[in-house]
Amino acid sequence: MPIIVKNLSFTYSANTPYERKALYNINLQINEGDFLGIIGHTGSGKSTFIQHLNGLIKPQEGEIQLFDFKLTSQKRPKVNLRALRSQVGMVFQYPEYQLFADTVEKDVAFGPKNLGLSAEEVSSRVRQAIEMVGLDYEAVKDRAPFELSGGQKRRVAIAGIIAMRPKMLILDEPTAGLDPFGKEQILNLIKYLKTHCSPTIVVISHDIDEITRFANRIVVFNDSRIVYDEPMQQLFKHSIQLQNMGLDIPRAVKIANALRDRGVDLGDEIVTAEDLMAAIVERYNQKHGTQIDKDSCVFDMYDFSQKWLTSEERAELEGIERPIKEEDKHTKKSKSKSIDEDKKQKRSKRGKE
Amino acid sequence: MRDISFGQYYPVNSVIHNIDARIKILVTLLFMVTVFFIVSYTAFAFMFFLLTVSILISQVPYKTVLKSIKGILVLLIFTALLNIFFTSSGNALITTKLLVITDQGINFAIKMALRFTLLVLGSSLLTLTTTPTELTDALEYLLKPLKLIKIPVHDLAIIMSIALRFIPGLVEETDKIMMAQKARGANLDSGNLFKKIKAMLPVLIPLFVSAFRRADELADALDARCYNASPTRTKLKVFKVKAGDIFVFVGFAIVMTAIMLDKYYVGSFVTAPDLNGFDVSGLDIFIYNILYRVGR
Amino acid sequence: MAVELDHVTYSYNVNDAYRVDAIKDLSLHIEEGTFVALVGHNGSGKSTLAKLLNGLLLPTSGEVKIFGNSTLDVDKIYDIRKSVGMVFQNPDNQMIASIVEDDIAFGPENLGIERSEIERRVEWALSKVGMLDYRKNTPFKMSGGQKQRLAIAGVLAILPKILVLDESTAMLDPKGRSEVLKVAHELNKQDGITVIHITHFMEEALNADRLIVLDNGKIAFDDTPEEVFKRYDELKAIKLTVPWETQLAISLKKVGIDVGEGIVKDEELTDRICQLL
Repeated sequence: MPIIVKNLSFTYSANTPYERKALYNINLQINEGDFLGIIGHTGSGKSTFIQHLNGLIKPQEGEIQLFDFKLTSQKRPKVNLRALRSQVGMVFQYPEYQLFADTVEKDVAFGPKNLGLSAEEVSSRVRQAIEMVGLDYEAVKDRAPFELSGGQKRRVAIAGIIAMRPKMLILDEPTAGLDPFGKEQILNLIKYLKTHCSPTIVVISHDIDEITRFANRIVVFNDSRIVYDEPMQQLFKHSIQLQNMGLDIPRAVKIANALRDRGVDLGDEIVTAEDLMAAIVERYNQKHGTQIDKDSCVFDMYDFSQKWLTSEERAELEGIERPIKEEDKHTKKSKSKSIDEDKKQKRSKRGKE
Repeated sequence: MRDISFGQYYPVNSVIHNIDARIKILVTLLFMVTVFFIVSYTAFAFMFFLLTVSILISQVPYKTVLKSIKGILVLLIFTALLNIFFTSSGNALITTKLLVITDQGINFAIKMALRFTLLVLGSSLLTLTTTPTELTDALEYLLKPLKLIKIPVHDLAIIMSIALRFIPGLVEETDKIMMAQKARGANLDSGNLFKKIKAMLPVLIPLFVSAFRRADELADALDARCYNASPTRTKLKVFKVKAGDIFVFVGFAIVMTAIMLDKYYVGSFVTAPDLNGFDVSGLDIFIYNILYRVGR
Repeated sequence: MAVELDHVTYSYNVNDAYRVDAIKDLSLHIEEGTFVALVGHNGSGKSTLAKLLNGLLLPTSGEVKIFGNSTLDVDKIYDIRKSVGMVFQNPDNQMIASIVEDDIAFGPENLGIERSEIERRVEWALSKVGMLDYRKNTPFKMSGGQKQRLAIAGVLAILPKILVLDESTAMLDPKGRSEVLKVAHELNKQDGITVIHITHFMEEALNADRLIVLDNGKIAFDDTPEEVFKRYDELKAIKLTVPWETQLAISLKKVGIDVGEGIVKDEELTDRICQLL
């Protein structure tokens, strides 16, 4: 069952000098399997909107149909918000700031426990969630969340949400504040979750180049209203209007637009770097009579050949500062030499499996 | 993002908003002292009248000012009940095995409640019409003499200013963390007190962590901006008292002094009509006489 | 010389088994008036380096000199802090007062500067970051970019010769990032302020005079941005990227379309592609 939002309006601090309209007559349908991107600058209403989607804010006007739940401005019938929130998982901005337990395991278990599940069910979900976000369960479960790296903390926080097995996942600025490598890992994780955890995903981001990496549909908020709701390939026909709203357009679109201005029209469905490269290759083949395969184009900002590593390897890659114990110091030199050997062995092992 | 009014400040431009903050603090203090001294209902009525006029001039809606009472309502009722049940002087109105309720008790209770209400309304009017920065600066100025006895007034003022600056941020943060934990199915507002405290841990722990992180970063920022670099600190804002401010202060001081003196002097000169031992002041008699003459 | 680092090592937990060397025997000279971008992934030691520059941290060994004054010299610490203005990462945790102009005045007030001069500086600093219209406002509802520009104004009011931006763009959206960068470049060009911009976004180094890449507490690259970007394979090995435009040129070259080397800006890229098609 899809999510249907009808005539939703919301005003903060009504009837005070601080009154501010946040949403005005929003209508939107989110279908199962959507990979929806929401863009809009700060204060455009997008954050207020997604808080409605799991019952953190009660509609003032209009109604929202969420799976089997119906949210309206009426007090009755009472909605089981806890059940609703377990189906709509919400990852807030900087989610690592909500970690509170003394071990990773306990923190991730908080959500499933609140659902009243059995102890076995909770622990199996916790294990699965931690592994799903790409962490080694045995290695991190007893560690304090605070001693992990920034990117790892964020993944633990996300694990805390997906351990509730939501049907839909909403992420607000999931990569904010991370370094490029951390961003890349979170983006890959989101794609992975789409196929392995929650079939419907909604992501809010300021960074349009990030959203175009995965979204199939983009909704644009401006001034408390939805101004565009289009398949990703179509949205950037409105490049000029988007830029007038102060929103960025993808770099590939910028280049394609600049080329068009100079007489080289590569078509108007270019959104990602791969699209742009494929179009360039095609045109290049025509002009120079070459046979370059456009599917061979890869835009790899990172070397991700070691994507699923063990925790030790990952720790090494991410530079987590593990305390060096006295006895380790002597053996350290000989160890570091053999690390590359180890990696090869482990990789070939996994290959066999 | 939820909206949080900045401190309590209500941003409109009125005569009261524009009075020098130091004068406002002094006037409020005077008002409070007076409230403690007055005894007669006429004097209470006069104080309420004065306050209402001030609120009208300040253009802050009466409703907004009244909201401040909500916070102390429980305390108000509690003290009133204490007064009613534990005053034994005066004429008994109701007598049971356990307790005696006297007219004097009810009299005390009502006056106590009136006093509290006046205090809270008066001080809210101050914070509603004065920005936190103005308040801090004014307090720092007024407390300057304490420097002589080695109290670090300036540091205290900075602490207060920083606290005021960070409160809205912390409130917002609390709100965010609460939302995040609710999204994880936390039940933050049911069960008994013990359960509630336990349920709040997932909010309190991240909040403390965040407060410490902020404090740490802020300390670096203070150092980077040469905090304590010079023993003689200067100020961008210098208070300049306007003629109007002095007029307000003097006028208010005279009125308040009159009301206070009323209890001790006027009251003792005139014989009051018998009002069952209730406190009566010169003002009561003055008004009584006027009413008496008008009536005749 | 604006900044001189001479064999500087900085270790956390110096005296116990958990010792971590964040900066390792690092030497560095920065001339007055240059715009330096300092890039490194998380944990490369770049924030530690920033805090060494104004004496918030003192080197475990070696020496940090700012215009010839060592940070180890206790008597000079305020001279150093006056010449090194430092802006931090979180826009919310740097403001002291609730009103913009009061906040900007905080630095000069601490230095005991005369009132009329403070007023002049507040006005100057706010106009430099394009926030003069907000002088009576409260920063609470401003965007991250605006808050960070105010933080820059706050340190400008102490008239620093060096401006250190310690990951000041990390928490901002793309618009806020470009606002802050623009201000930093203007200050460098118009007022000759030495800028040390610490970031993990390579594209923010594009217009710098000098790009220093830090890895594991040591300098991995130190050259003009164009030269550093040519060594993209080595950059990737230390978890860094090259700007998008450079990456596109590299990826095209890999499939056999050579658009030329050293591309860092979108106009260049469009020009070259245009020539080929």
